[in-house]
Amino acid sequence: MTTNTSTGIRFAYGAMSAVILGFIVLPLVGVIWMSFFSNKILAFPPQGYTFDWYARAFAAQEFREGFIVSFETSLIAMATSLVLGVPASLALVRYNFPGREIITNILMSPMIVPGIVGGSALFVFFLEIEMLTGVQIAGTAPGLIIAHALIALPWTVRLVSTSLIGMNRSVEEAAYSLGASAMTVFFRITLPIIKPGIIAGALFSFVVSFIDLEKSIFLVGPGKTTLQIALINYLEWNLDSTIGAVATVQIVLITVLLLVTDRYAKLNRAF
Amino acid sequence: MTSQAVAIDTSPMNEQPKPRPNMTAPTLLGPATIFVVLGLLAPLALMFRNSFNRYDPRELMVSAFTLENYARFFQDEFYQEVLFRTVWISALSTLICLIAGFPLAYFLVRQASDRLKSKLLILIIVPLLIGNAVRTAAWMLILNDQGMLAAFLRMSGYTGSLGLMYSTTGVVIGLVSVLLPFMVITLHSVLESIDRNLEDAAASLGAGHLTALRRIVLPLALPGILAGTLLCFILSMNAYATPVLIGGPKFHMMAPTVYQQVSKAMNWPFGSALAFILMAVTLALTVGASSIVQRRYRRWAE
Amino acid sequence: MPEVILQDVAKHYGSSVAVENMSMHISPGELVALLGPSGCGKTTTLRMIGGFVDITSGRISVGGRDVTALPPNRRNMGFVFQNYALFPHMTVAENVAFGLEMRKLSKSDISGKVAQALARVRLSSFADRLPKQLSGGQQQRVALARALVIEPDVLLLDEPLSNLDATLRQEMKIEIRQLQQSLGLTTIFVTHDQDEAMSTADRMVLMRQGRVEQVGAPDEIYDQPASRFAAEFMGIPNLLPGRMNGPGRFELEDGTTVHLDGQKRYHGLCVLALRPESIGIGKDAPVGAFNSLPGTVEIVTYHGASLEYRVRLGTSTFLTARTAAPGLGGPDAIPIGTEVRLFWPYASGVLVPEV
Repeated sequence: MTTNTSTGIRFAYGAMSAVILGFIVLPLVGVIWMSFFSNKILAFPPQGYTFDWYARAFAAQEFREGFIVSFETSLIAMATSLVLGVPASLALVRYNFPGREIITNILMSPMIVPGIVGGSALFVFFLEIEMLTGVQIAGTAPGLIIAHALIALPWTVRLVSTSLIGMNRSVEEAAYSLGASAMTVFFRITLPIIKPGIIAGALFSFVVSFIDLEKSIFLVGPGKTTLQIALINYLEWNLDSTIGAVATVQIVLITVLLLVTDRYAKLNRAF
Repeated sequence: MTSQAVAIDTSPMNEQPKPRPNMTAPTLLGPATIFVVLGLLAPLALMFRNSFNRYDPRELMVSAFTLENYARFFQDEFYQEVLFRTVWISALSTLICLIAGFPLAYFLVRQASDRLKSKLLILIIVPLLIGNAVRTAAWMLILNDQGMLAAFLRMSGYTGSLGLMYSTTGVVIGLVSVLLPFMVITLHSVLESIDRNLEDAAASLGAGHLTALRRIVLPLALPGILAGTLLCFILSMNAYATPVLIGGPKFHMMAPTVYQQVSKAMNWPFGSALAFILMAVTLALTVGASSIVQRRYRRWAE
Repeated sequence: MPEVILQDVAKHYGSSVAVENMSMHISPGELVALLGPSGCGKTTTLRMIGGFVDITSGRISVGGRDVTALPPNRRNMGFVFQNYALFPHMTVAENVAFGLEMRKLSKSDISGKVAQALARVRLSSFADRLPKQLSGGQQQRVALARALVIEPDVLLLDEPLSNLDATLRQEMKIEIRQLQQSLGLTTIFVTHDQDEAMSTADRMVLMRQGRVEQVGAPDEIYDQPASRFAAEFMGIPNLLPGRMNGPGRFELEDGTTVHLDGQKRYHGLCVLALRPESIGIGKDAPVGAFNSLPGTVEIVTYHGASLEYRVRLGTSTFLTARTAAPGLGGPDAIPIGTEVRLFWPYASGVLVPEV
């Protein structure tokens, strides 16, 4: 605590912060609230409260399917990003070789290139492959998974690398000096110590993949539409509490996932 | 993380572990690198090449080497207006984020207790990862003429129509709320690296709070302010959901236009050219801004 | 216990030299301190012995066995790291058991040895704690127990006391020394603290910029520093530059001549090192004092058992004299500003080269 700030200044910061935080958080609270309104046409004040919108959201094929597609895609994307990302992080942190910087930048590039640009490039790329070989990728599950694994990979690499860098190397040396082989050191010392980083990386990857909009929008197809795309398609024509119900489900799911992630690695370190 | 006493050995005599020249690193890195190269860099390269091709309504794309797609952008006022609108809306949203983000970040670092801070940080980060579709939907439910905001205004006696949906103001509100957490987190980490004793020292030498902010905190926080500003600006330049949903079909910004050309009009050459113009303008503006800021404040920042 | 021999060991990183032609013979059961300022190569040397740094040239052997090419996991050395490097995800007992597991001992042997090792460092009741639940001193003792339980040929300690506060450091110093002596362990430890080295080691190796500056028992190095660097590092504050101008006569820079043991000969510029406790201070020098210089008391500092006077001679020369505290048989304290005389016997100064 600083001692030199007067009560007035402290109050001013507190008040401003409350307003700004409200601006960030209240819309989401509002959505959750509105998802329970019993009004047929969305209006204020609520005439009463109901769970009907959740039933309607669940009954709507686009949302049910969208949720399943999103969940499956994100899960596979997460697994892919772990399989590719954990070894890559290990190499980036532990080895010094020419071109390390370049490889790091390459692996981080999906985070830097704007989603719409990367998405349209991938879309055209897939269609050109299709024209050449007849194999359809855009609009299929593999196409979506490739796009989502690309989104997830840099986050996995970043979180796993951070935990590897934060790991005390002399712990491994201690294990060596006590007679452990390289394999033993990796599986009994390194892996357990970076496990929180791997779990956080996995959960985080899942979330960033789940919420992706800009890349997916090019690659969805009939029966292969993610929840985010289903949402914006619906929003173009409708604005009712069904949206609130779907949004609430997503808010709850992601909040839970992130709270779990935060237990393994502080969320603000991911940025 | 737990409180592992992590004392990274900084002794200059300490070498990296000693992997003898072998295939370990390439084997570990190869798959991930190839994946990104094939999934992002090759498509980008291809897209760059495509931007010089010619669009043909029947064959989609004819291989060529022409600048006509770029020329079309510079000849058609509509697209220039789209770019111009994208730039100024991004600049405005970023500025608002900066002004609104600083007090919150400062509060987190200097005034909130550790417990409160970690709770608030989660409260700021979670919305960031709720997804733009949901966050924009939330604003639509609030901003539309029958929405929450209008209802509250009616209760306080305001009877006019709100008219925020499909307006520039609405888009800016949506963008700011999407981007603000990025700004707060970036500012938070740079402010945290500034020793709070410096402000106390300034105060002990007679500086008021605002003077201490301006003369001490601001120059030291400049790298973070710049980073946060650029991040918000870049994200805003490429925003998709907010302009499409809050702006509506008649509100045009760059990212939706790229999508429109590539995916709907199937004019890949022009869409590709638009995408590269967007990236080039973003890059030029961010590099330009950061070099001006750095030159201007070098004497402080050093 | 085996002896440790280093023969012309060197470590180069590209063109920069970390350690150059280091040769050392450490006798069985001896405790040797590698001492020097940061960057002098002491830690690199220790890590080379431990096998964590490949050596560029030379040979290291332990008990006649050449270990130069052996990886650390086959050297059978106990290594205690500066930050202890306890496995954070294992309990104290698991940490200590790890090395025994690697040696494929039976479960019952392991638990017996672990219990014994923990008892030796008085941590039996902490067996099931995690390292982060322990204090710094306790973590240090776990690290020691873990290194000792494998019955290593050599014990290596890297700045083992640097992360502890002053009281604990004192305790641990004694504890390490006792353990080392009762087990008769050949031990090498690295420190930048000359006090720590002097009070613990049988022999000290003073290093500077990758080379050995001086080797000897603590009192040898303190009494007979081989260079200005050694004298400074051993904490001798009085270093007076000058030159010999005749047998037993040393002329200071300001022209004053002081008297020395006649056998000491150096040509050219050199430095007279005077230990503060060998300098007497008083209103008058005793009759027949060989060296006596006038000065003014500038600063008096109390060090518990002793008093230290910083005395100005002339314009820019200062000497530090130390006396026992008044309560402990020393003379009464002399106030600041007093005109005094400093005196010392001719044999107490050491001439060292000016490098």
